[in-house]
Amino acid sequence: MSSVVEKEAAPARALRAARLLSMIQAANTGGLLFVILLLIATISAIAPSFLSPFNLFALTRNLASDAIIGFGMMVVLALGQMNLALGAIGVCAVMVTGYTLEQLGLPIPVAVLAALATGGLLGMLNGLLIVGTGINAFVITLATASLFTGLMLIVTKATTFHNLPPEFSALGYSRVGPISGFLVVTLIVCGALFLLFNFSVLGRQILATGANMVAAGLSGVPVNRVIIIAHALSGVLAGVAGVLVTAHLAAALPSIGEDWLLPSFLAPLLGGTLLAGGFVSVSGALLGAILVSVLQNGLVLFNVNGFRIQFFLGLALLAAVGLDRWRTVLVQRAEKRLT
Amino acid sequence: MTNLSKRLISQDWFPLLLVTLVGALLLAIISNSFLSAYNLFVMLRILSVTSLVALSQMLVIAIGQMNLAVGAIGGLIAILFGGMLEVYGLPIGLAAAVGLLLGLAAGVLSGALVAYTRISGFIITLALLFVFTGLNLGITLSIPFYKMPQALKDLYDSYLGPIPSILLIPVLAAGAVAGLLYYTRPGRHMLAMGGNPAAAELAGISLSRTTIFTHTLSGGLAALAGMVAVARLGTAEPTIGADWLLPSFAAPVIGGAVLEGGYVSVTGTMIAVVIIVLITNGLLLARTDPFYVQFFLGALILATVLFNRWRSSVNVASPETTSGRP
Repeated sequence: MSSVVEKEAAPARALRAARLLSMIQAANTGGLLFVILLLIATISAIAPSFLSPFNLFALTRNLASDAIIGFGMMVVLALGQMNLALGAIGVCAVMVTGYTLEQLGLPIPVAVLAALATGGLLGMLNGLLIVGTGINAFVITLATASLFTGLMLIVTKATTFHNLPPEFSALGYSRVGPISGFLVVTLIVCGALFLLFNFSVLGRQILATGANMVAAGLSGVPVNRVIIIAHALSGVLAGVAGVLVTAHLAAALPSIGEDWLLPSFLAPLLGGTLLAGGFVSVSGALLGAILVSVLQNGLVLFNVNGFRIQFFLGLALLAAVGLDRWRTVLVQRAEKRLT
Repeated sequence: MTNLSKRLISQDWFPLLLVTLVGALLLAIISNSFLSAYNLFVMLRILSVTSLVALSQMLVIAIGQMNLAVGAIGGLIAILFGGMLEVYGLPIGLAAAVGLLLGLAAGVLSGALVAYTRISGFIITLALLFVFTGLNLGITLSIPFYKMPQALKDLYDSYLGPIPSILLIPVLAAGAVAGLLYYTRPGRHMLAMGGNPAAAELAGISLSRTTIFTHTLSGGLAALAGMVAVARLGTAEPTIGADWLLPSFAAPVIGGAVLEGGYVSVTGTMIAVVIIVLITNGLLLARTDPFYVQFFLGALILATVLFNRWRSSVNVASPETTSGRP
């Protein structure tokens, strides 16, 4: 008798737990949105220049590339892996863009395609090495980061390309209303990733691999191929970010990408993506990137010394993961109470 | 074959030692300045910083975590050490003691955050990397402390017999770390936790205490590395530590450490540090672009992890080799 009751109750319980989980997830996105709005209200009350067209333009232009850097890390975090070579791939794409435009004099679309292809190839190489050797992605991408950067420096001899065609540099000043035209690229990438992770077989396969690689493999997911594709995608996104940064600076510099480590982890982790893999939030990562950009911009407007901004961003990351941890503990307690 | 040489060959780090000796021999043949007293001295000095950095990371790898903040702690302590000497004129011994204490305190902070929040050590130390770097740059505004006392320079240049006395610090540190890991209870706890945290906890080991203990030691070693770097450069530069991430992982991993925790080799790590210094030095002596150093370091990490993977798969395939090992 009792077993029948249990059988009836179990799905209901699972449903309630699932509903709670999705509610808390929504609370995370909502909470992030709330924090962003609060931050914007506070900053613009103290420093009205925050809402000036000039500042909004600068803010959204930085946001556009930072968000894509975050997406680049997010797609491998979905696997439960990391890509420490994101900045190194980015700078390789940057130099390829500069070389094709300045030295080869090819049209802009060709240069952009070359950059994306470079990113994709290097990312695929990471994936192939990880799958082929079975060695931890952290070690592989740490080594290839050094390998790619070294190779780029050997080939370019650390020169810069700053005689880019004016049409390309003009892209950095493109506007849609008061905001940077770059944000259009970011929104398109964001939409594509949203479709990928929510409505495509490949996206579900990436998440399944991240949640439990063995189980995914047993259920027929081509795990190795999925890992390679995710790393290639991460590389392509690093290429996109590289092209945006090159257009922004109107120069291809070999130092680009050195400081991508923090934004790459900040945006997805603030947005609720799990480090362990199996869950991503595309809109969360975008909101995370917005939060970071607004915070950074506000600190600059408050005349906080540029050097101290790193300190505050580090604290923001700690606070965000702390809150996230607290949320998880609450979920676990709630689940315990339900069962 | 004698018993000793058999034991030597069966060691994990034996191939590494061979590579090192062959590399050193090649360098000596190619460049006659390699064996000059001046060059050996320069190499030993670089060795002293890199080996402390590697030991600092190796301890955290032993428990199956990572410490991305090794360079940030080292850099922060380096400029605090420089500031204490230049601005407050403290004696070197006192400043070094305070620096070491602050490094230990930074380690306690990251250990406690990892242990009590149960957030991945990777994220915590990533966040602290930027907190400490931000503090460093906020204090110095990116301007080094230039005026280090002459006594520090003299201390650094002093010799104990034929050996530069500064080399004693990493040698003693390596000995202490080896003693800790292989002969003491906390050290065995660390390796047990790295090997299997759940089993270690069931066996009565406090994971929180072991985590805090490990990060504290790691912070102390990073602080030592930072202060030795100040003595080596003769200025307290805010950029000290900024490029430690790669060598800090490269040396333990090349030395045979398992990144998932539970196994590290102090001897292997120290030999790997020698290899890294040899590569850096050899490429400089060969007058190649400094860019090649980064490329070869990356290639070396890949080659050794591949080699270790291959060797362990060979060992698994033939049971005699595994059973034959001590």
